[in-house]
Amino acid sequence: MTGNDGQAQEPDGLAQAADTDPVHSFQQMVLENPDIKGFLAELALLAAARLSVPGNSIHAGVTVLRRKKPEAVAASDAAARALDELQNGFGDGPCLTALRHRTTILVPDLTAESRWAPYVQTAVDHGVASILAVPLDLAGDAEAVLNLYSGCSHGFSGEDITSAEAFAGQAASSLRLILRITQLSDARNDLSAAMHSRTVIDMAVGAVMAQNRCDRDTAFSILTRASSTRNVKLRDVAATVITSISGEEHITTHFDE
Amino acid sequence: MTADWTRGPDQQLEADEERHGAAERFRDADFPLMKLWTYYYGIGGDVDEVSLDAYLNEALRLPAAQVGLIKTAMTELAGDDDR
Repeated sequence: MTGNDGQAQEPDGLAQAADTDPVHSFQQMVLENPDIKGFLAELALLAAARLSVPGNSIHAGVTVLRRKKPEAVAASDAAARALDELQNGFGDGPCLTALRHRTTILVPDLTAESRWAPYVQTAVDHGVASILAVPLDLAGDAEAVLNLYSGCSHGFSGEDITSAEAFAGQAASSLRLILRITQLSDARNDLSAAMHSRTVIDMAVGAVMAQNRCDRDTAFSILTRASSTRNVKLRDVAATVITSISGEEHITTHFDE
Repeated sequence: MTADWTRGPDQQLEADEERHGAAERFRDADFPLMKLWTYYYGIGGDVDEVSLDAYLNEALRLPAAQVGLIKTAMTELAGDDDR
């Protein structure tokens, strides 16, 4: 990440860049990381760099809820990823609670924490003393939480919490932009795949109609039944039908994108 | 898309039960409607996205052939996810 002034930045400069012009740096991140994983990886690094101070280094991870299952998708380092995965394995913990209730959760001192006992104990064994979990508000498009771990008890000051929340808020709006871009490009890819598959299926339906002297619905049910009894996808059954008649293996559809 | 009026009341009841099952499976699967519709269209489905939405909210009946394709689309999409 570089500033507009062309000044070379140290790795620590990540934090500085976010401090001076967070919106610009998030925009830059969106442009440089058009995929969600890349963006979240950069986000975790930036969060860790921004909140770490000498003597209290912060590890950051991001957990995303995909199809109702939490998944550790990005982390600033292996330690944070391991902690995220541990928590997801237990199925409960401060970060997952923050994710589910959409509120920031601070565990100032893990040794004094009585909730999430199995996870907390394991986290203490891993050298974690305090945890801050900040949900990313993605307006219903998805759910994600920024997990921050510190090796010091009371490792997050009130100021840190405010700044982590502001950071998460700015990150969330950039993330929503990426989600939109991803959804559009996924939809485009799905449509393109559908066009190809529909051509093959329509041809096979026509072939079955001619062979069996039946109507379209009957032809479809013949193909569907073959697909489910053999546990083969409908379009693969259709492709087999066409290959068996004409020997053609690749039916292509051309359309303008 | 009009409902298939040629079926008797028993078949209608059976179809409604099947529709209820499809609606439940769709809610559990948690993939976007657009994704399901596109896949369903790709395997030869004929009804539009709004009708599919209505069907999956148990507000519209569809011909048996379309119901079969919706079921196939859901099964194949769920299989893709597991991989």
